[in-house]
Amino acid sequence: MSGSAAAIAVRDLGCTYAGAARPALDGVTCEVPAGALAVVMGATGAGKSTLARCLTRLVPCFLPAELRGEIRLLGQAIDGARVGELAGTIGMVFQDFEAQLFSTDVTQEMVFALEHTGVAPASIPERVTRALGAVGLAGFEGRDPTTLSGGEKQRLAIAGLLALRPPIMVLDEPTTDLDPTGRAEVFDVLGRLRAERLSLLVIEHDTAAAAEADLLVLLRDGRILASGPPAALLADVEACAAAGVRPPDVSRVFAALGLPSPPLDVVAAADQLRARGFVPVAPVELPPPAPPGPALIAVRGLGHRYPDGRRALAGVNLTIGRGEFVALAGPNGSGKTTLAKHLNGLLAPTEGRVTLDGRDVADLPLETLAQRVGYVFQDPDHQLFAATVADEVAFGPRNLGLAAAEVEARVTEALAAVELHERDADPFLLDKGARQRLAVASILALRPDVLILDEPTTGLDFQEQQRMLGLLDRLHAAGRTIIIITHTPWVIAEHARRVVLLQGGQLRYDGALRPFFADERLAAEAAFRPPEVTHLGRLLGCTPLTVAELVTWLGRGA
Amino acid sequence: MPLTLYVATPSVLHRLHPVTKLGLLVAFIVASFMVDRPLLLLPLAATVGGLLVVAGGLPNVRRLRVMFLLVFFFTLFVWTLFYQSVLVPTYAGFLFGLSTAIRLATFLAAGILFLSTTRVEEVAYALGRLGLPYTIGFTLTLAFRLVPVFFDAALSVVQAQRCRGLEFGRGGVVARLRRFVPIIVPVLIGALRRADRMAMALELRGFNSGRPRTTYLRARAGPADALAGTLAFATAAVYVGLWAAGIGTLTAHP
Repeated sequence: MSGSAAAIAVRDLGCTYAGAARPALDGVTCEVPAGALAVVMGATGAGKSTLARCLTRLVPCFLPAELRGEIRLLGQAIDGARVGELAGTIGMVFQDFEAQLFSTDVTQEMVFALEHTGVAPASIPERVTRALGAVGLAGFEGRDPTTLSGGEKQRLAIAGLLALRPPIMVLDEPTTDLDPTGRAEVFDVLGRLRAERLSLLVIEHDTAAAAEADLLVLLRDGRILASGPPAALLADVEACAAAGVRPPDVSRVFAALGLPSPPLDVVAAADQLRARGFVPVAPVELPPPAPPGPALIAVRGLGHRYPDGRRALAGVNLTIGRGEFVALAGPNGSGKTTLAKHLNGLLAPTEGRVTLDGRDVADLPLETLAQRVGYVFQDPDHQLFAATVADEVAFGPRNLGLAAAEVEARVTEALAAVELHERDADPFLLDKGARQRLAVASILALRPDVLILDEPTTGLDFQEQQRMLGLLDRLHAAGRTIIIITHTPWVIAEHARRVVLLQGGQLRYDGALRPFFADERLAAEAAFRPPEVTHLGRLLGCTPLTVAELVTWLGRGA
Repeated sequence: MPLTLYVATPSVLHRLHPVTKLGLLVAFIVASFMVDRPLLLLPLAATVGGLLVVAGGLPNVRRLRVMFLLVFFFTLFVWTLFYQSVLVPTYAGFLFGLSTAIRLATFLAAGILFLSTTRVEEVAYALGRLGLPYTIGFTLTLAFRLVPVFFDAALSVVQAQRCRGLEFGRGGVVARLRRFVPIIVPVLIGALRRADRMAMALELRGFNSGRPRTTYLRARAGPADALAGTLAFATAAVYVGLWAAGIGTLTAHP
């Protein structure tokens, strides 16, 4: 092991999973210098996770595959190693933090890896303290992991590996299931690990995270599409799009205005635009928001207490009209999901009431509610169970006791709406985006007036997100009322017409998008960040919601 | 909702060696089965109750008070009416019912005392020290860790299927059973997927590293353990002695 060896050196790596027709990785060559942060991006199926799993030997030890090429960690070839043998060399965390915690107490969780790799008990307390401190969990020693927030759980999973002091850490979408607060916590930890000169390889969907990296690798179909410093790659809107990555807003604005080399930093971008004489001219009179249709759902004085006495919602008043597109925002634990579950009777109010077309939701039978207010859960795997796609969609209509011909008509209609054409496919073999759309179809088949979706874009790549949002836009245009719970600012800005912000179980904001995103104090208090383009616009004195808007306004001014 | 009884505030009892705590539990259970006379059972019940106070386990007793009351009065009632008779209350039946009720309550309280002061990892460790293979103890720990996760997933699945019009309370037995398929399949498949990821996470943390395992937590027994162990042994011995001398049985002293 020489001091100058790269932390990770991959040469001509190929990987074909057992039984797969095409390779998951093909001819991948890349090098992560010691102490560097490398970010890997790409669409679902591009081979990102496969690369991470090859580095830790999960492939082929857990997932049988044929490997070609060579992987060296700190100069040492790892072929033939077992996963456990590499535990002190390379650590890896992934999206599902629940699956990475095994104990009923934080100290036990921390000690686990140390005991299993034979670390002398005398040195354990110091290692535990250091690792917990490194992820900002000092003082959590006696806590039960089930009582931690998502961000805390993920940081505990990281700490459990850090205790082994591996020089290399791989993080496979560590923040996908977290809210903005949790994401910020994990990114903060990454910054600290970097300062301690750990070599990091991070798989991420968010370009904001990639901007910080020393090296960005774009994968497509198992091959490296491009790799290099993030400033150059993220400036290339087309390269990002080709890799299935959402290009940064600043890059899109610069590209649309024909300006070269966009900076990664929004403040710098605003300075450059100003220096070039770009002054946005926003229309003096913004088009007035469409008046809400007749009230469909009315929430009055809604309060909810859990059986253990915790207050989840208090004094919420909300009226949703027919045909609205509402985004429910707020940090985790703010009551978004609790509120949404009251709208279709999954939860009963402990105070106040919810009415649908003037009738108390609590009095409506299940079949009626299912046909009026559809609810798509965040994880499609919480509802898929049938052997075929068509059977899955038919389940709801059959529960309603509809005739076979009617069931068939509804299945065809719902599958067409979500653009799923493999009627006989096994739902469990579809990719995540298709499973998510199937879950929507299975609710659409009930023909509800209102569609509630809990984080419909979480865990999807950019193309799948666009597809899901396009579907929602179409349903909205066809007259359906859409309510989405989301953490993603650009999803709200580009698709919703109204935003409802909850904080600590209370309504903090309810109204149009532009004033919402313009209110910096509100955003700071609710740990909410406006989309990058809105931030850029604010620095220039306007509040655009989309790149197209800002470009038009700047074009007029130039 | 907490699914475990462990009390996070440590007490003298919490700090005992896991094997000592297991020993106390066994001693109390053994002792409670040695005698039938309510008067002789009371000191035992009082001891367990006192230790529960020391351990801070009273809130757990309060949480499970319905179970305690049900077990106590049901036992008393049934034995009073059915002891050597049918539906005729007898004094002998009442005495026997009372002793059984106290015994069961003591038994329950001893269990709560144990779970209030002992983490599942400690149980696994104690069993390991007594010769149980590590993997079995670890599986036990993992099961405890997974119960709340599993419970949450099942709750989501039930709600998700309700949104698709699934109703449980209708139809005959077969129809009702069939309605569990849409619940069980997603829960099981989700559990399998998670188990897969968990297996990976375990090895990433050095499970199966090929190096000999060390043990960090609570390997040492102190003077408190000697004292508690002696007390446990003495308690069990006294009650076994009562039984051997025939003092504790009801028939000898009606």
